[in-house]
Amino acid sequence: MSDRRSEPTEIPPLLLGEGLVKTYPDGDVRALRGVSIAVAPGEFMAITGPSGCGKSTLLHLLGGLDRPSAGEVVFRGRPLSDLDLDSYRASEVGFVFQAFHLIPTLTALENVQVPMFAAGIPVGDRAGRARRLLEEVGLSHRAGHPPRRLSIGERQRVAIARALANGPSLLLADEPTGNLDSASQREILDLLSRLRADRGVTLVIVTHSAEVAAEADREIRLRDGLVVG
Amino acid sequence: MGYLRFISRNLRGRPARTTLTALGLSVAVSAVMLLTGISWGFERSFLAIYRSRGIDLIVVRAGISDQLSSNLDASLEDELRAIPGVSQVAPSLMDAVSFEEANLVSVLTSGWEPGSLLIEGLRILEGRPLRPGDRRVVLLGRVLAMNLGKSVGEPIDIAGERFEVVGIYESASLFENGGLVMPLAELQRMMGREGQVTGFVVVAAPGVDPRELGRTIERRHQGVAAVPSGDYVKENIQLRLARAMASATTAIALVLGSIGLLNTMAMAVAERTGEIGLLRALGWRRSRIILLLMGEAGALGLLGVAGGAVLAAAGARGITMAPTSRGFIEPNLSPLVLAIGLAMGLGLTLLGGLYPAVRASRLEPTEALRHE
Repeated sequence: MSDRRSEPTEIPPLLLGEGLVKTYPDGDVRALRGVSIAVAPGEFMAITGPSGCGKSTLLHLLGGLDRPSAGEVVFRGRPLSDLDLDSYRASEVGFVFQAFHLIPTLTALENVQVPMFAAGIPVGDRAGRARRLLEEVGLSHRAGHPPRRLSIGERQRVAIARALANGPSLLLADEPTGNLDSASQREILDLLSRLRADRGVTLVIVTHSAEVAAEADREIRLRDGLVVG
Repeated sequence: MGYLRFISRNLRGRPARTTLTALGLSVAVSAVMLLTGISWGFERSFLAIYRSRGIDLIVVRAGISDQLSSNLDASLEDELRAIPGVSQVAPSLMDAVSFEEANLVSVLTSGWEPGSLLIEGLRILEGRPLRPGDRRVVLLGRVLAMNLGKSVGEPIDIAGERFEVVGIYESASLFENGGLVMPLAELQRMMGREGQVTGFVVVAAPGVDPRELGRTIERRHQGVAAVPSGDYVKENIQLRLARAMASATTAIALVLGSIGLLNTMAMAVAERTGEIGLLRALGWRRSRIILLLMGEAGALGLLGVAGGAVLAAAGARGITMAPTSRGFIEPNLSPLVLAIGLAMGLGLTLLGGLYPAVRASRLEPTEALRHE
């Protein structure tokens, strides 16, 4: 585990993973074999490692997309097993995926509004809020375009705006630059850094990219389901 | 963006699937609407024969399944008149003839006595009504006269005999408008049924209960059925067949439509596994996913009903215009028939959409996201 910041003080972690084990029933695959990590509020953490080492699985457990076979994820001092995971994902977590996962039948503006259904944001407020988020990611001029008419980089920016829709404290990104060329990758990294600085959001990124990892405050390296550095 | 817009976007974003699904549903809904409408149209037209004349009872031979096969002695008329509570009685002989050159089959042919309450129920549009002593004359219903291109004073060949058209009438019943009327004695002669009739219509005196009167008639005359006109129409064999066909078609359409919708919705959900996983990842609850997918199914149902109503209306128009059915079949696409179509269309889609929607809502987000 490498740390490029000064040692965190006594601020309690935003997110804790304690002895996380994830075993998949099909084939008895152990994707994680006892991973413990702590993520401080406002921190930018990169999770790296070779394919199949359990990076995405760890991200999914932290984001409440899946439940650990053993161990516990703790958010603001409360175990996720005690929380309503739908509410947790809707209000506390923003996800950014490598494949963007934009809904093809919706415009950029509408895609950004999709998480707002789950957070109970009134219908009348959704479009204005989404428009402001698209402005924040520099895409207000593309608001009415469906994903197929956006460049790859623009699609990821829409996905980032969507991840911020409900004002989450935690942004989890799974290979957010994995499908991008180097110029777009740089743009997305700059955007994430800026959003983190402006909003104070905690950022955890799973990446293969050394360049992305180099931007992070801290890098966690996984291998065969274990933290190795 | 609210639910309706989301649903609308999802349907409009997949135009081929939406169109084909709605079209399939439209065909099923229109078939049900049309057959139900035809069945109800028959019933309405039948009832009009009796209601327009204030007829309370139909007297026919007991145990018959079809009115045309009934056979009673014409002399029964005087005995019926003598029963207390009977106000009016009119005999009727009925048959069906064909005008093959006009492609008209089973044209209702009635033999009535001049001046009877049955004749008085007709409104003469041209010419004159039947008179006592008339021979070889007929009255044509408005629709039949139009279909045959006949007017007053022209000759007409019926079952190989020549008659003169002396009048053209309009009735409250489509059957009668598509039929013809001749003197009772003439039809008896033509059919070789002198002294016989198919049955009698009876009007009860004011304040007399028709059912009770019917029971009195049946008690006095063995082998005779005196049935209230409403019951008589409901028990009519042709109407029962039409109703059975409509019910069977509804049941078949319901089963086939449900399976088709189930398949379509299951495919739609399978195609959108990644999208559903995304919604779950974004915090959408299972119930919200079900609501969205059922909303889409419901919207497809409404589209199908709208299309079905248009197809049914076009089909009804086609039926009323077709040479073989014009003047005899008039589908009754009443608001109630439309409501049946609406209930069926929505029922089908919600039924077909429920299982895939519930199944989709149970997908684990991580598993669903891997599909993309």
